Amino acid sequence: MAAAESPSSALRRRDLCSRGIRLAGKMRADVVDLLDAYVEQQGLDASASVAAVEGVPVAAVERWDEQTGTQRLLENLAAYRAFRALLAQMLEEQREQLGEADAGLGRALAALLLQVSAFAYHLEELLRLESRGIPGEEGDGPPPPPRLSLFEQKLRGLGVLRELAQWAVRSVRDLRQLAKPSPATGAAPGLAESP
Amino acid sequence: MFSRWNWVACGFYLVLNICSPEASGGLVQSCGYIIPESPVLALGSNFTALCILNDSCLDFGNIYASQIIWKIKNRLVPKEQYREINRTVSSVTFNDTSSLATPLTCNILADGQIEQNIYGITVTVGLAPEKPKNLSCIVHQVSRFTYVMTCTWNPGRHTFLDTQFRLRYSWPEEVFPDCIPKDVNNSCTITDIQFFVNTEIWVEATNALGKAESDPLVVDPIDIVKPLSPQNVSVSSGVLPTVLKLSWENWISDAVMTLKFNIRYRIVGDAIWIEVPSEDTASPRTSFSVQGLRPYTEYVFSIRCMKEDGMGYWSDWSEEKTGITTEDQPSKGPPIWRIIDKSHSPASWTVHLLWKALKPFEANGVILQYEVTIRDKSSLPSLVKKYNVTSTNHTLQLPEGTYEVTLIARNSVGASPPSVLLIPASNSKAPVKNLRTLPKHDKLWVGWTAPNSYVLKYVIEWCLVSSSSDCIIEWQIALGDVQGIDLKGIKPFRCYLITVYPLYTDGQGSGQSVKAYLKQDRPSKGPTVQTKKVGKAEAVLTWNHLSVEEQNGFIRNYTILYKTIDGNETVVTVDPSKTEYTLSSLTSDTLYTVRMMASTDNGSRTGPDFTFTTQKFGKGEIEAIVVPVCLAFLLIVLLGVLFCFNKRDLIKKHIWPIVPDPSKSNIAQWSPQVPAKHNFNSKDQMYPEGSFTDVSIVEIEADDKKSFSEQDLKPFDLLKKEKSTSEGHSSGIGGSSCMSSPRQSVSDSDEGETTQNTSSTVQYSTVVLNGYRDQTPVQVFSRSESTQPLLDSEERPEDHAGGADSTAHRQQYFRQNGGQDETNTDRPCFERTKQITHANERDLVGFVQLQISGQSSQPLGLGMEKNTQEADLSNALQICTEGQTVRPETVEENPLSVDEMPKSYLPQTVRQGGYMPQ
Repeated sequence: MAAAESPSSALRRRDLCSRGIRLAGKMRADVVDLLDAYVEQQGLDASASVAAVEGVPVAAVERWDEQTGTQRLLENLAAYRAFRALLAQMLEEQREQLGEADAGLGRALAALLLQVSAFAYHLEELLRLESRGIPGEEGDGPPPPPRLSLFEQKLRGLGVLRELAQWAVRSVRDLRQLAKPSPATGAAPGLAESP
Repeated sequence: MFSRWNWVACGFYLVLNICSPEASGGLVQSCGYIIPESPVLALGSNFTALCILNDSCLDFGNIYASQIIWKIKNRLVPKEQYREINRTVSSVTFNDTSSLATPLTCNILADGQIEQNIYGITVTVGLAPEKPKNLSCIVHQVSRFTYVMTCTWNPGRHTFLDTQFRLRYSWPEEVFPDCIPKDVNNSCTITDIQFFVNTEIWVEATNALGKAESDPLVVDPIDIVKPLSPQNVSVSSGVLPTVLKLSWENWISDAVMTLKFNIRYRIVGDAIWIEVPSEDTASPRTSFSVQGLRPYTEYVFSIRCMKEDGMGYWSDWSEEKTGITTEDQPSKGPPIWRIIDKSHSPASWTVHLLWKALKPFEANGVILQYEVTIRDKSSLPSLVKKYNVTSTNHTLQLPEGTYEVTLIARNSVGASPPSVLLIPASNSKAPVKNLRTLPKHDKLWVGWTAPNSYVLKYVIEWCLVSSSSDCIIEWQIALGDVQGIDLKGIKPFRCYLITVYPLYTDGQGSGQSVKAYLKQDRPSKGPTVQTKKVGKAEAVLTWNHLSVEEQNGFIRNYTILYKTIDGNETVVTVDPSKTEYTLSSLTSDTLYTVRMMASTDNGSRTGPDFTFTTQKFGKGEIEAIVVPVCLAFLLIVLLGVLFCFNKRDLIKKHIWPIVPDPSKSNIAQWSPQVPAKHNFNSKDQMYPEGSFTDVSIVEIEADDKKSFSEQDLKPFDLLKKEKSTSEGHSSGIGGSSCMSSPRQSVSDSDEGETTQNTSSTVQYSTVVLNGYRDQTPVQVFSRSESTQPLLDSEERPEDHAGGADSTAHRQQYFRQNGGQDETNTDRPCFERTKQITHANERDLVGFVQLQISGQSSQPLGLGMEKNTQEADLSNALQICTEGQTVRPETVEENPLSVDEMPKSYLPQTVRQGGYMPQ
């Protein structure tokens, strides 16, 4: 059970939520823009179906409205940490493939990576305000991806970006939910401790 | 001797040590070194350096620390700053590093004052960096997706050292690469900006003396964004003539930030912007309808944006876009006025209807035409005439009467309200009162006091007064409730005639006029003055008025300035209506300089100088002097004439003395032809012998004559004549001849011509001095045929001899005569006459003396000889005088007295020019 919020922490929480919502919104917009550029750049079909990316929590969840705030934060944090690792890998692969030939795509990926990192930081701060421990990052990330072919790397990148776009939408909703003053906040301590 | 060689060896060793590569392991081996090596020192701090000598130098060269001297850039450091720490170490201390310079050298002063450099270091003095202040950052949107953040700060004082600044920023769990400024030390731009995360930003300054950090700035970059201004702005007109719709695109997505806007607009040509209220545009949008605009007006729009919550910065204003509202019907009728020309016929007017084009905000569109309606109110029923006009004036020929003029302006949308002007038969209503003007900057305010009756409106006419062209009337209408308007477009220094007419509902008041200037200046030239009339003590000056273009203001007065050359200037002020002025109390016969000055309220201008000289005499003065003088002269002449008339006998006697008429002499009796020939009858009539009755004789001794003055002797001249006359009588013709002949002889020689005017030629007889009857007469007298009047010859100066030496005088006399005759033979005899008439009386006195005394110092014989000689001369002279022979008579020189003269005469010898006795 979280202790009663001080006015400053409530203000801080609201500020973090507000900022997180807008960051998620921008991240969503940037991902959408990046998806178009990525598909075009990689020579993919925008309608190509991609299998679920391994290691990334699925954004869609049942009984979403029954989740506690901490639970939402933890799921978001887990997802964005995974995205951070995947985007870093994509950026590395991008540089290996194209070098400096397409700096624009690389800069966009880098910017998206920063936004993901920033969002993860927001989530961590919110968790701190919830007086919950921050789950450790080691071992939480996705397992090292198997060595993929170039095409598979492109498809996986497309999948990552699509999933990130989904998560951005969900994160906005989660944070809006968290921004509402709700007694249910922190009502599921057990979840907070789960990885 | 040993010592000397020892020192030489020592020095040699020292050089070897310095130069020996073997010893130092390099090319140069130093005998010592300085600690610290090339230090960087804080300005103003103290500093100590140590110079340490190598042992190898000590062993051989007897070099010790006490011999060390320090130098700063070849300048010796005072030894008070040295300190010998031990045998091989010397230190130098500086309390203030600002006195330091590069290089700082350690030197050895060997024996013999040989200075040898041991080591040198470079000293750098500077300051530690200050803490950067006033850090601020702004995020510029460069493109739709690109943002850069530029931070600026105050780097602090100059450090004199190479100081590096770096802008650092980080997230709590992420440190970003530093931003290092290029070429500057007070700003840096970060290109990798992430929004929605609080970022800590600070500046770090580092140099050799230290490091300083600014206070951190924690900010979410999204809160310091200056977005790009909205793009693709367009303006479109709507259905309503007062609305324009403004549309644009935002270059920043709502996902990043939502925006609010500022919209401003202005009428094309205006400089003042109008802003749409900010609350109307405080929400995100891409279009806005601006209302309350004027119909058919072109507007310019511009828009800017910023983050909706007000954090960050406004973007720049977008590019300007224009749009025109649609037309509407004219909002009012055109102002109308008229000018009536009655010059042709009072009963038939030429009416010039004038109206002003509506202002754009009144016309609300393009005026296509004006509709003029003339209603004759003098007749019943009213006659109505309509005209469609496209210009702004219309001229009509109307009979005298009362008319109502209605004017309507029409555009594509509709017609304006009508403007009505009543033209009455006469302007008999009350005029405005107290019409006045007042300049207000570049406008001329015209004010008046309203009449007592209700005034519908006023018409203000004005025109530029010009001497060269007609007054072109401009006009303006003011509402009836105002009592003053500002006239625009008025030029300074120009005269305007302003007339105000009050318009009543049932007529029109008469106009009141006033002249006014917006701004006055001094006249552009001064009046040219000249004199109309100049007298002795006064002068009438005249001048022309300056033309209205030259006046530059109201001429308040003329000033006449006049002075003499060396006198003070006199100033006279003259009323400006005058063109003439009389200067009085002037000095006569004096040169005056006059000039004239015209003055306005703002200054004066003087015209050219004009000079005139007053007259010496006043009017009538000359007449007053001349007339009396003439009168006096005439009076004197008259008196003289009267006197002469009264004394005519006396004068006659003096001027025309009675000449003895030879025809009546005894000789004449035997010479009867002579009188006839010489016309002695007249003389005979004039001088009857009976008139010479009173004769008195005054005898004057020759010696006594000297004691008499000329005047005293003059009467004797007359007496002598009288005496001679009486003698003539007493002695007959011989006496007369004796008296007159000498004179006559002289006058004959010189005045031959003049005698013709007064008397005819007189024959003189020759007096026979001796001989009687049977005796052969001696030719001593010859007949004179001279026409010289005797009276003139009496005053011949040449006849006069002066003093006792009469002989000499006589000789001189003849000599002179001869000389004159000789010299004057080729000259007109008239001139010779003149010479004689100017003889003085003194000569006359001498002659009188000669005549009266009867004494002669010359023997007769001599005289006879001379006579002969003179006769020859006379012959010569006769050729010249043509009958007026000058014949010097010798009778006069005859010393015989009257009593001794012979009583009878014989016919004289015939000579050339003479006559033969019959």
